[in-house]
Amino acid sequence: MSDEKNWVPQSVDVSVPSSARLYDYMLGGAHNFAVDRLMGQKVERDMPQMRSAARINRAFLGRAVRFMVDQGVRQFLDIGSGIPTVANVHEVAQAAAPECRVVYVDRDPVAIAHSELILADNDLTGAVQADMRDPDSILNSAEVRRLLDFDQPIGLLMLYMVHWVPTEADPWGLMKHYREVLSSGSYLAITHLAADHTNEGARAAIARMSQAGGQLAVERSRDEIAAFFGDFELAEPGLVRFAEWRPYGPGDISDDPSVNDIAYAGVGRKP
Amino acid sequence: MSYSSRIPDVTPSPQDNAKARLALARKWAYRLLSTVSIPMGRDALDEELSSRLDVLCAMLHEKEFPAAAAEQAGAELAELGYLGHRGLRCTAEVLGKGLPALPEFQPVERYAERVALVIGALGSGFSAANTESVLTQQESMQRSLLKAVRDANWNLKESEARFNEVVTSSTNGVLIVDLEGRLLSTNAAVGDILGYSQEDLVGVPLLDLIAPGFTDVLREAMAELVAGSVERIRQSQRMLRKDGEAARLSLTASLLRGADDELGYFVVVIEDGTELALLQNELKRQSLHDALTGLPNRQFFSTQLEIALRQAGPEHGITIFHLDVDAFGMICDSFGGRVGERLLQHVAQRLKALLAGEKAMIARFGGDEFGVFLENTADTPAIGVIMKSINDELLEPTFVDGHGLAVSVSAGVVHRPDTDAEPADVLRAAERALRRAKTGRRGQWELFHAGQDAEDRRDDALAVEMPAAWENGEISVRYRPVVELAGGAVSGVEAALHWDRPDFGVLDHDRCAGLAEATGLVLPLGEWLLRVAGGQSVWWRQRGHFDRAVAVRLTAHQSADADLVSRVVRVLDQTGLAPDQLMISMPGGVLPMADAADNLTVLARLGVLTAIDDFGLGPLDFGQLASELPVQAVRVARGLVATRSPYVAALLPLVRERGVAVAVDGISSAEQAQWWRAAGADFATGDHFGVPRPPGEFLEELEPR
Repeated sequence: MSDEKNWVPQSVDVSVPSSARLYDYMLGGAHNFAVDRLMGQKVERDMPQMRSAARINRAFLGRAVRFMVDQGVRQFLDIGSGIPTVANVHEVAQAAAPECRVVYVDRDPVAIAHSELILADNDLTGAVQADMRDPDSILNSAEVRRLLDFDQPIGLLMLYMVHWVPTEADPWGLMKHYREVLSSGSYLAITHLAADHTNEGARAAIARMSQAGGQLAVERSRDEIAAFFGDFELAEPGLVRFAEWRPYGPGDISDDPSVNDIAYAGVGRKP
Repeated sequence: MSYSSRIPDVTPSPQDNAKARLALARKWAYRLLSTVSIPMGRDALDEELSSRLDVLCAMLHEKEFPAAAAEQAGAELAELGYLGHRGLRCTAEVLGKGLPALPEFQPVERYAERVALVIGALGSGFSAANTESVLTQQESMQRSLLKAVRDANWNLKESEARFNEVVTSSTNGVLIVDLEGRLLSTNAAVGDILGYSQEDLVGVPLLDLIAPGFTDVLREAMAELVAGSVERIRQSQRMLRKDGEAARLSLTASLLRGADDELGYFVVVIEDGTELALLQNELKRQSLHDALTGLPNRQFFSTQLEIALRQAGPEHGITIFHLDVDAFGMICDSFGGRVGERLLQHVAQRLKALLAGEKAMIARFGGDEFGVFLENTADTPAIGVIMKSINDELLEPTFVDGHGLAVSVSAGVVHRPDTDAEPADVLRAAERALRRAKTGRRGQWELFHAGQDAEDRRDDALAVEMPAAWENGEISVRYRPVVELAGGAVSGVEAALHWDRPDFGVLDHDRCAGLAEATGLVLPLGEWLLRVAGGQSVWWRQRGHFDRAVAVRLTAHQSADADLVSRVVRVLDQTGLAPDQLMISMPGGVLPMADAADNLTVLARLGVLTAIDDFGLGPLDFGQLASELPVQAVRVARGLVATRSPYVAALLPLVRERGVAVAVDGISSAEQAQWWRAAGADFATGDHFGVPRPPGEFLEELEPR
């Protein structure tokens, strides 16, 4: 009866930093709280290039979405979307093709509440609060059922996401499940921390950030990451360092090689 | 290039101008994209900035400088994405250099001022829009937060249902009382205790149910709850039954607050049949309090002092006063014992009033002696200030049986004793200081020193010498074995500082660390210790000599160092030591500091083994272990090892139950080792198992085992 936790919804705790808001801070946004900024400053101390790494991941998102739109994809499912602000999926996709439909998924309740607010007058977008490890709660959610047609190609985005799933939770089995529900011609984009990156500060930064996520991000080898794509056909240039996936301009690559090799990226097509 | 400000006569062609502008726009886009996040591809941004640059150039050509339009252009620039101060700086750099170099703005002197004005106005429009955007983003986050909380409300409803279930089935009476003091609802047990039906009670003022003479104390306590000065009140109460009888019961009340701390309602729980317990409490109170003044007695003071010592924060610590009323004997002789007693009551009262704002305990030790300890905070006044205010107050005459009496008190003071000090020792020290103070004038106070002065001065000299000694190689790293108590096997090695000071003797790790801690040298020195020990460990491992983990103890300062994690990561990278071959330990006392706990957690996440030193010195230790600190081991404080503290020994099974190993330091005999092994310790260090030695000797010592 005196257990105070029962009186405050446990899922909304702004006294601990959230990875979604931390990412927004790293992108230069103000959709964050003091506790997130404090964590951000500590993380930047561990890894001064953190902002570049966030920006380059965001730039990859833009390229991957534009690529998928070019291939005819008009619906997107972004799992681990964070706070959809600058340069996010619906912005990029709807700029290229206004009829694009997008569903954002994140487990941070504040990020999802925020998504719902800013997307309120955009009928073609929706947001779902769910954990990627519970595919059914995502795939059966009202928003997904309202917006996405699984008989048509879907662009599934899992950016900076799967490394949060520990090996014990069988991320390969999970990804197989996600791949199976997609129709032929669908696309899957992944960015994932590389086991062989050369960034000295990243380990400390990741360990620190994992306090926000509650678990440690798992770095994986190129082969392990390639297995997430299963029988999907990787688009050129294949599974490469995330800065090297069809870079188009200065925003896509850093001058610092230890930023460029921090994650692997690939886009695969379901045959 | 073909354009040069040195050829002002050449009028550039429109095509040249367009080309030069395009190049500048591209450079601008390039720099922005490499700095900030903009939701546009390279081509789109080139085009966008190119048209914005045309607008800016047009402004520069206008006769009247259009400040408002330039500010507007700045505001629009901010809307491109998350540009922030980085984007503004990059824009100012590109345009500041690029505009004056454009062929259309030659000779540059004629345009220099306008360029500056345009960039200034652009910047001011930009930052106004940027501020606006930050505020909007923050506001939208606040709204999101509210929404998230609202969305999670079903959770709240569920917990309310649970609460109701508990309340309904409880045999204690539960009363929900609004802020006006009226009952909103009660459970069935209240009816059993008081004889009213639940309906009868709705809207009845709680105080109407309280027996006469008992209402004031409850009213005051509820006011304190509203003021927030207490969380929960508990009192023995008399409530009126329907039949007019008074029921003796114990009453607990708290005030529930909403999410934004706004007042909600009181929850009052009444417990019947507590007469026996109440009586016991009263007896206990009497045995721990002084009958004359109502203050705690010396015995109670000592136990509370022990708790306060163990809990004392590392920053401010506690201060103990032993007070003695000057010339009390003379007063008693002159005016009689009754006056003396009244005077003591007066002193007790004044002390309580003076220290009401502090976290203090005041006790009567007997005779004319009082004890006080203060749990210091940043705002606690200096000892001199406290003593002066006590004496100022007591020197105001008070009238006792017609005699105007003014007294002074003398004091012996112990300031910030070690947190592992024994209460009896601390009290003895305070008393000794009091005796010294009494040799002087009245109303004096004396701080306890224990020959500390001379030692402090020597320490200062040593600490100053230390950096040079380190440089000269007088300080080295030594190694001693960590031994498994069960089988006697060497399970690890501990690295320690060792200062062989010429013509002086040897300073061991604790002395070295203590001195370096005082000057801040410990940060570089500690990193060096880590690196040397890490390198040594890798070297031993590579040659197959010794492959157990190496342990390094950190000081408080090191533990809270913002750069600790990067220092450790650097050492691991440089030496090639695997994280799980390194054990880092921090003094338990620093872990309440967020930075230290943060460091410990991050190190653990990196795979480094972690441990807590000085275990047993604070009641916090166990709570910390129980919470989420990922430690593999705790090391019992050396003093508690020596005294074979039964308190710590009792804790060990609980610690081990959590999968945390227990180490003891300072083991000097086989018999002592056996005692701690029986008590449940896993690992030990100490002279009995091996003193710190240079690496070569350390290995040799291992051989015969």
